[in-house]
Amino acid sequence: MNCEEYREATAANPAFEGGASHAAVCSECRAYQREMLALNAKIAKAMQLDVPELKMPQLPAIETNNVTALPARSRWRNPLLFAVAATVVLAVSISLRTSEVFQSYDTLAEEVLAHMDHEPAALRVTDKPVSDKRLARAVPAKLAIFDRGESLITYAQPCKINGKDVPHLVIQGEHGPVTILLMPEEKVAEATPIDGKNITGIILPVGDGSIAIVGDREEQLETLQKSVVNSVTWTT
Amino acid sequence: MTSSSKEGERRRRYDKLVAVFYQDMYRYAAWLCRDKAIAEDVVQEALLRAWKSLDALRDDDAAKPWLLTIVRRENARYFEKRRLETVDIDNLSASQAALLAEAPNEELDDMRAAIFELDDDYREPLVLQVLMGYSTSEIAEMMGLKQGAVLTRLHRARHKLKDSMETQ
Repeated sequence: MNCEEYREATAANPAFEGGASHAAVCSECRAYQREMLALNAKIAKAMQLDVPELKMPQLPAIETNNVTALPARSRWRNPLLFAVAATVVLAVSISLRTSEVFQSYDTLAEEVLAHMDHEPAALRVTDKPVSDKRLARAVPAKLAIFDRGESLITYAQPCKINGKDVPHLVIQGEHGPVTILLMPEEKVAEATPIDGKNITGIILPVGDGSIAIVGDREEQLETLQKSVVNSVTWTT
Repeated sequence: MTSSSKEGERRRRYDKLVAVFYQDMYRYAAWLCRDKAIAEDVVQEALLRAWKSLDALRDDDAAKPWLLTIVRRENARYFEKRRLETVDIDNLSASQAALLAEAPNEELDDMRAAIFELDDDYREPLVLQVLMGYSTSEIAEMMGLKQGAVLTRLHRARHKLKDSMETQ
């Protein structure tokens, strides 16, 4: 082992113990290893970030009756057959997971709340607006035209609700982030209230679609409703 | 065993694993995404996913890599949806800055900022090695890389940190 190899190995792992015979005769490489060990100690210390108190998520009930011991593993005589079967099972499993086939909600309001739960990071308090480009990606012209006006839009994402394209926007209200879901293909007969934990909102009928507006309980959503509705023109 | 006692046993097992590994999960998430609020969200999602798939974990001795892999996937899932811009150390959001604001002294602060600025490709194997204690072969397996690639990244990561500390 030469100096270069020794130092590469030591930089990749300062506790590297190979190359002892080289280190024994090379004081510069020994010094290099000491330097790397000291650096590593500083890295380790710097990585010890303060950890916030654990907040356990709400855990859904799991049907434990269905959890049974696996039967003795049978041997597949043909490994190729096993590989094909495993691939098929995996593909079906992935497609079911991503298709949201098994997720159903009784009401549109429930689905709106569930969707918000699914994207909690959207509700960050920030003063950084999304770019026009990002807004245009979230609200494609084939669905709607959205005039951002003076609103501070801090989140814009194309989402799906009931399998339909729904632009998901967040604007910063007086009492925190306000979620706006533009649902051009979800027709509702009348205004429908949304009631969640610490949040309140409404689904407004707008033409052949609807708009959900959800914010903090303290938020004066009535004043927002008109400006939001006036900002949107369906193009579907 | 009755259904409720099975459920209780499952919950106790989960609580025990979370109590032991929560700090590792959070720190790993925080160094992956470099944002305090996002790290908390990623860990919440990971905890939920771990609860749902706990029965897939046959051996509790393998819990740590199992949980960290879940964190890694949840982080990737988060950024799949939102491709964030490159982090500019001089123009951090409040939540990004919050991670760096906790260092108790200037040298530590400089090192934290230097790690923060490393590319993902260099930062992640370094976190797995230094903070989580994994060998380069284990890191290669977790990251889907060849061991040689991990060694190269670790080597470069340390040199970048060394240079960065020397210029500060």
